[in-house]
Amino acid sequence: MTARRPRRLHLNAIYSAAGGALGGWRHPDAPARAGVDVGFVLRQVRRLEDAAFDAVFIADLLAVPDSNPEVIEKVATVNDSLEPLTLLAAISAVTSRIGLIGTASTTYSQPYTLARAFASLDHLSRGRAGWNVVTSLIDAEARNYGAGSHLAHGDRYRRAEEFLGVAYGLWDSFDDDAFVWDAASGRAFREDGIHRLDHAGEFFRVAGPLNIARPPQGRPVIAQAGASEAGRALAGRHGELIFSGASRLDDALEYANELRDRAGRAGRSADDILLFPGVSVVVAPTRAEAEDRFARITALLHPRVALGDLEYWLGNVDLTGYDYDGPLPEFSRTNQSHSQQQRIYDTARRENLTIRQFVQRQLRAENTVVGTPAEVADHLQEWFEAGAADGFNVSFPALPGTLEAFVDLVVPELRRRGLFREAYHGTTLREHLGLPRPPSAHATR
Amino acid sequence: MTRTRPLDFGVLFGPSGHHLAGWRRGNTGAELDPGEAVRLARQFEAAGLTAVFVADVVSVWGEHLDSLSRTTRASYFEPFTLLSALAAATERIGLIATATTSYNEAFTIARKLASLDHISGGRAGWNVVTSVVPLEAANFGRDGHYGHTERYARAEEFVDAVRGLWNTVADDAFPRDKESGIYLDRRGRRPLDHRGAHVSTAGPLNISRPPQGNPVIFQAGASETGRAFAARHGEVIFAAPRDLAEALAYRAGLDDALAAAGRAPADVRVWPLLAPVIGSTEAEAERLRDELNGLLHDDVLRRVVQDNVGDVDFTGFDLDAPLPELPASNRSRSRAASILSLAREEGLTLRELAVRWAGGGVVGTPERVADHIERWAQAGVADGFNLAFPSLPDGADAFVDGVLPELERRGLWRPHYGGTLRETLGLERPGLTVADLVRTNP
Repeated sequence: MTARRPRRLHLNAIYSAAGGALGGWRHPDAPARAGVDVGFVLRQVRRLEDAAFDAVFIADLLAVPDSNPEVIEKVATVNDSLEPLTLLAAISAVTSRIGLIGTASTTYSQPYTLARAFASLDHLSRGRAGWNVVTSLIDAEARNYGAGSHLAHGDRYRRAEEFLGVAYGLWDSFDDDAFVWDAASGRAFREDGIHRLDHAGEFFRVAGPLNIARPPQGRPVIAQAGASEAGRALAGRHGELIFSGASRLDDALEYANELRDRAGRAGRSADDILLFPGVSVVVAPTRAEAEDRFARITALLHPRVALGDLEYWLGNVDLTGYDYDGPLPEFSRTNQSHSQQQRIYDTARRENLTIRQFVQRQLRAENTVVGTPAEVADHLQEWFEAGAADGFNVSFPALPGTLEAFVDLVVPELRRRGLFREAYHGTTLREHLGLPRPPSAHATR
Repeated sequence: MTRTRPLDFGVLFGPSGHHLAGWRRGNTGAELDPGEAVRLARQFEAAGLTAVFVADVVSVWGEHLDSLSRTTRASYFEPFTLLSALAAATERIGLIATATTSYNEAFTIARKLASLDHISGGRAGWNVVTSVVPLEAANFGRDGHYGHTERYARAEEFVDAVRGLWNTVADDAFPRDKESGIYLDRRGRRPLDHRGAHVSTAGPLNISRPPQGNPVIFQAGASETGRAFAARHGEVIFAAPRDLAEALAYRAGLDDALAAAGRAPADVRVWPLLAPVIGSTEAEAERLRDELNGLLHDDVLRRVVQDNVGDVDFTGFDLDAPLPELPASNRSRSRAASILSLAREEGLTLRELAVRWAGGGVVGTPERVADHIERWAQAGVADGFNLAFPSLPDGADAFVDGVLPELERRGLWRPHYGGTLRETLGLERPGLTVADLVRTNP
């Protein structure tokens, strides 16, 4: 077996309009209306494209969380963000290389609608679309879609599995060479180049065919962030670009190896799955400056919001009645993200943290790297060379400063080390990532 | 009747033209070419046209491969992604997306339109449709369409819910006060908690109130139910009357329906469809029409009528025989009725009928097309027109370079972009402030 490790690492930017940190919108340099200011987004994404980032990624939630109003009134992104597919389509018109990864839920969408929208984005961008497949998180989302509560964990992963199968089938509705556009004969496409799907399953009945030619990439790149058992299983079977929240190298490596192993067991090549741990970066020419920048960003986080964030990840619990200097109380598991809840309890127990200590810990998430360009590059290089990362999902706590600093300081350092491309070589997201273009299910073998 | 406003022109947008054979004589294979889509939108914007309008069907648009494989109706951009891309490449032209109330979720549509409105700086419009093409139902788990009544009952609730979601957030709901750390003024937002027979959604919307307050609502209801629906909700009404008499009757009926809905005729704009086939002489225009129609394959001719009427199979039917009696169906009733009466009144053959349906309209010189526009405008049946250029780029060039200057000379039209689509159309912006919400919901 040849070494599977790619020679270069990949960079994906998590773009959050108001900055990745919950207090980021309060930064003096942040535009007040960042959430809906498309001109600002376009300027940031052009910077990322100038730096030859593989992709920009937009996370999403289909509701304002019904958390404590005292918390919600102090945050930006969940209140006031552009919808991912419309935003990415707008970005596609003013960029030409950078990949465009949008989050969309299999729980509150129909496969025909989503398969079509992503195919359309792939055509508009000439092969740069990616889909971060999520199953949604919170009951508030369910209530926006006519359900009283969120679909049970197992059900929503079975639905996701079926959803993806339908999407793949719909993307193969037309053969790659179906359209001949022969003006002389009047033939637009070959009659034997179009295929109905006629899917009938547990959650969906979809006849097809899709009303758009096969996407330039065959399929948009599938991103996934499976953390629970069901989520990992889905990621192992379908994910090509895997986001992970691991904050320690050994955890990230274990996760990466497990996912590669799962992919192998699903009959996929280890080259077809790329691990992208998340990292939040605050970089400056000197360590002191970086620490100072970081301190100024963390000072923007209102203490009530920090506590609220913990409440949110524990499944929207209420911590206000508890002693902040006492232990983190254990609540019964909710139907929300299981893995996040488990991770928090594990950490709190392992390190015997009080609520206050835990909240302070949140201020400096373990996957935050604060330092000089060399220090940040060291961190990325260590994870990359250890096999824990094929690339990184980079978040920028406050915009535009931390993004500019990363592009101006870290990217050149990675290039000096031969770790990151000098310029794009291909035009599609699959080409940037070195992922194969999937053949159609109808292609003659 | 004197006009107080210049006419508005929407363009039915498709990069290879609207005539079923238009793709064979220009922009061949351009249907999914983003560069050509942007070029056309910029051309229409430079000319001062009011909006681009993206029609839509949530399936391939034709049941029979013999015909479908000879048209552009099997593969086209999805409206919201296309219009968002065009939004980033233009500055002033309106962007109208078709979205069905039958197979979507209200929260998704409210949010996409709000997002498009923000991305475009207030240029979004929503063409509200109910789905009637049989293939659509089968893509969404249904054996057949919702019946006419249920379809409109759902549409009614859906539009209420979408508007309701836009109105969950006040214009000034977000003080975004960096100093105090208060992003949201809690009094400026409320849940919707819409629970109905067809649509349930809690809200609030997770984005600022759209720049236009509410994106502009377009509607094309032509049946009695559809017209009542349009009168309640539509701000711009598409219509497809086949002559001035029918247009007058339509406008009178719409005015009655508006009155019944408590609205005034001035609250809406009516845009009849106009598919101009333009030549520098009458003979040249007729040659162009004949050329386009001559490019229609017999199978396309048969199916274009069949697909519009439904529940009948014209396979092997003689194109040059008169149209047979047709059964009533669950399709768009007004359209089928119009086809039938047209064929009966004029004793048309299938071929003659199909050709009329294939995308040609007013044929002639720029002056003659301008005459048509002027006649309809003066008769009070058109505040604007929805243009369907038979083929591109020539159809657009002929209109922009020939007809628009003529209309400007006649004082019927001039470029008149406002800051938003609402302003261009002269429609009032629905405002909603924190103070309004405090007053109504203390």
